[in-house]
Amino acid sequence: MQMLLRILKNDLKRKKTMNAILFLFIVLATMFVASGINNVVTVMNGTDYYLDKAGVGDYVIITMGDNAVGALDEMLETEEVIKEYRLEPVVYGAQGDITTEDGKEAECKNTTIYQSIESSAITFFDKENEAITSIEPGHVYVSSNFMDANNLKEGDIICLKHSGVELKLILDGIAKDALLGSDLMGNTRFVISDADMQKLLENETIYNHYQGEICYIDTEDVQAMKAAIADVSNVSFDDPRSTIKMAYVMDMILAFIMLILSVCLIIVSFVVLKFSITFTIAEEFREIGVMKAIGLSNGKIRRLYIVKYLMMAILGAVIGFFASIPFGTLLLDSVSKKMVLGNDNALMINVLGSVLVVCVIVLFAYFCTGKVKKSSPVDAIRSGQTGERYKNKTVLRIQKFPSGNALFMALNDVLSNPKRFLTIIISFGLCTLFVLMLVNTTATLKSDKLIHTFGTKSHLYMTDIAEVMTYMNGGSKEKLQERLEEQVQKLGAEGMPAELCIELIYKYPVTFNGNDYVISCQQGVNTEITEYVYTEGVVPSGKQEIAITPQISEMTGAKIGDIITIHYGEEDVDCMVTAYFQTMNQLGKIIRLHEDAPTDFSFISGAMHYQIDFTDNPTEEEIELRKERIKKLYDNDKIMNATEYCIECTAVADTMESVQFLLLAITLIVVIMVTILMERSFIADEKSQIAILKAIGFKDSAIIKWQVYRFGLVGLMAVVLAAVVSIPMTRLCISPIFGMMGAVDVEYNIDPLQIFLLYPGVVLAMTVLVTWVTALYTRTIKSSDTANIE
Amino acid sequence: MAVLEVKDLCKTYVVNKRQNNVLKNVNFSVKEGEMVAIMGPSGSGKSTLLYAVSGMDGVTGGSVLFDGKDITKLKSKELAALRLDEMGFIFQQMYMMKNLTILDNIVLPAIESKKTAESKKEKTKRGEELMRKLDIIEVADNDINEVSGGQLQRACICRSMINKPKVLFADEPTGALNRTASNEVMNELVKLNQEGTTIMMVTHDAKVAAKCSRVLYIVDGNIKGEYNSPTGAAVQEKERERLLNNWLMELGW
Repeated sequence: MQMLLRILKNDLKRKKTMNAILFLFIVLATMFVASGINNVVTVMNGTDYYLDKAGVGDYVIITMGDNAVGALDEMLETEEVIKEYRLEPVVYGAQGDITTEDGKEAECKNTTIYQSIESSAITFFDKENEAITSIEPGHVYVSSNFMDANNLKEGDIICLKHSGVELKLILDGIAKDALLGSDLMGNTRFVISDADMQKLLENETIYNHYQGEICYIDTEDVQAMKAAIADVSNVSFDDPRSTIKMAYVMDMILAFIMLILSVCLIIVSFVVLKFSITFTIAEEFREIGVMKAIGLSNGKIRRLYIVKYLMMAILGAVIGFFASIPFGTLLLDSVSKKMVLGNDNALMINVLGSVLVVCVIVLFAYFCTGKVKKSSPVDAIRSGQTGERYKNKTVLRIQKFPSGNALFMALNDVLSNPKRFLTIIISFGLCTLFVLMLVNTTATLKSDKLIHTFGTKSHLYMTDIAEVMTYMNGGSKEKLQERLEEQVQKLGAEGMPAELCIELIYKYPVTFNGNDYVISCQQGVNTEITEYVYTEGVVPSGKQEIAITPQISEMTGAKIGDIITIHYGEEDVDCMVTAYFQTMNQLGKIIRLHEDAPTDFSFISGAMHYQIDFTDNPTEEEIELRKERIKKLYDNDKIMNATEYCIECTAVADTMESVQFLLLAITLIVVIMVTILMERSFIADEKSQIAILKAIGFKDSAIIKWQVYRFGLVGLMAVVLAAVVSIPMTRLCISPIFGMMGAVDVEYNIDPLQIFLLYPGVVLAMTVLVTWVTALYTRTIKSSDTANIE
Repeated sequence: MAVLEVKDLCKTYVVNKRQNNVLKNVNFSVKEGEMVAIMGPSGSGKSTLLYAVSGMDGVTGGSVLFDGKDITKLKSKELAALRLDEMGFIFQQMYMMKNLTILDNIVLPAIESKKTAESKKEKTKRGEELMRKLDIIEVADNDINEVSGGQLQRACICRSMINKPKVLFADEPTGALNRTASNEVMNELVKLNQEGTTIMMVTHDAKVAAKCSRVLYIVDGNIKGEYNSPTGAAVQEKERERLLNNWLMELGW
């Protein structure tokens, strides 16, 4: 045993660099595995854990508009499927209500909602994931989206002006809002004190026109709830828990990307660990041969290496365990800003992950040392060459090779022993592939490729929530059309001849196959149904024809050719489904109505943006100029072109981009680590060859070039492979995610420059740079070392 | 004319703060076309001397004039170019590039060299001619571990000769070979010498050294004696060996 420990000590001392790099990889592997497993458990239970903790229940109904308060009372009292319900009063506001301390209008998503903490029916959490139980008068908690969008921090002051009421509120921090906190739900909720809420409600306009209720219901029969809500007016939102969960889809996508990244890093770590263990043992043939020659048994020799790796694994796992805690938090950080993610056994899972790494390393060591059996004492004499290999492995011939020695030797090495370089191709290729898939996704989210899933493509889009509220509070289609005409005149007078349109969302009771539903129906004002894009079928040609999404088809069972009855208030119309279309509005749960359908503003639940189409064919530059002019004309910052509108609607492009950069950084770290480890290993293995090349007159630069070319070639293979595979893989992996959001058939915005040049180029450049730096070590090998090489 | 002139050559290693003077003011010269053997007991500095005079290892003092040029003053790049174009090397261990065929290993230095304007094809042809000459052409396309030790060492000789060097340095060229293979290799070296190549080799083997025209005997970093082998066809090989052995015994071999 003492002898073994002495050999071990000398081994650790003699191969400092190799052992240090291997150790570092054990630490990294532990970090990735422990945090990765923890993330798997957390993400898998993510939304349910969060919604349960907040007390969201099984079904949520939101009412707004005049007479919204009390609208649910009768249904809540009489409906038998309701086990329990919690009701909270809210006040609606408009985007322009909130200004920052410097008087600038704060950026809010959609309608704002004000609510007192005392009367809240769900639990809000602060940034530390602690429940917010009380709020001082004059203070406010708000979602992280709002804080980030307006660069606000704790302690900053915002001003709330609503119908003549003015409140100055100090920001106490972020409130994690389980119902409305996701990007896709989109409303900004301000949680204030009861005293401040009362100040709002004392105002007659607010009291009469801006009140509403949010109701959280516990029920086991979601379908029955859908039917029950069909007769209730003023409902702007009613959906089961599954929809609210779905609204976190983008957050969960990010979490899953982190999860996949963790799994990817785990694979890379283990591939590299296996390589280094196999490589170290292959390099030890002489020592193993000598040990065998002096009579040590296979078992004892294997034990020596297993003990070495066990010790390194234990030490590395302990450090990796501590590193995994902040690393895991970092990975989930972007998600946990909006959600309370966690599991009660986080620490234990990290410990188990670390133990798993130790076990796998020992197992690797056990299997890799199996080669000891094949090694004979003769290996020690013959320098590892047994002369028993007859298969010719040399691939290229120098005389036929069109380039110089360095490139020839590099390519010949790779082709002669591809297995040896597989580790690099797998690890670099896998990491690059993930980066490229995210690049494709981000580029798509940051383009106007998704515009047809939100409506028709127009030159500009304009939000004016205050106006939308007026339509919802006693408006009519005629009034809206008048308003649109006014806008047309106003723009025309400014030398911007344009047509305006808008899509409205109604909530109508619908019957199919004897089942009742309340479904959001979209109808354009000043647009025709033929202007939209359909994925299958024939465009509806009258009020008796409709188009539905695959999500509605799945929910109701209706297919093209089926008849759905829509209850338009006083008139019931049997509508034939003639087409399918895709939309990301309302997570795809939409029916598209013909412009002749007898819609009524009393069923309105929302409006999309005003769409401006200039009629004088302006250039792109002119459109941008007009955008700025319209911003000033309407004193409204929310004037967007199609791309900006898509970014606004998906609301996740920036986060996705930051994840993409994080992933790129992790990829580069992997590239650096793997390159150093492998290049250093190769140099150790090729010391005799490098020395002989120097002895016969090769310059240092020629040898470094050989090494750099070799890694460059392998890196090139990995990134080219990743780039080529990235496009089908993006469709394969990301399309189902868009599908969940309503976009079944997505046309990706593939930027060839980024996919085939920029990102692969960055990975390749880093590979070449790190190889070059590592290969400088070959300068320390002297030609005279040929005499000292074992 | 001396192709190699060594003056007051010193080489000192410092190991664990202890100074070890391996070569102490060594002086000798090698004329063009000579075949010189360096002999001496283990640790006497034979290999160090060979590596120092061939520019593979630095020196502590003195000078080494190769073709009139002091190689101790050259930069590493210039030394590499000199080794590539003007010197050939043969080692006891037959190191070659693992992933190349025997022929490609031989041609490699020729392709690296810009000494001649020959095409790759011409250089390859030259490599094949050398292999034919050394009777190993049948293993040209073999991998390095598919040939015998003798064949491999002859391939190393081909590689060392590919750029037509002025001097061939050999460190125990037959040390890892059996008697038959050793004879084959030495016969080839003698032939090359007879064709005009200057050879300087380190050997332990008196039988091998007996084939050289001159033997330098080194002890503790100093040349203790110099032996000029009798020349002429009249002197049989066995006789040359006997005479050399006698001389070596006088020096305490």
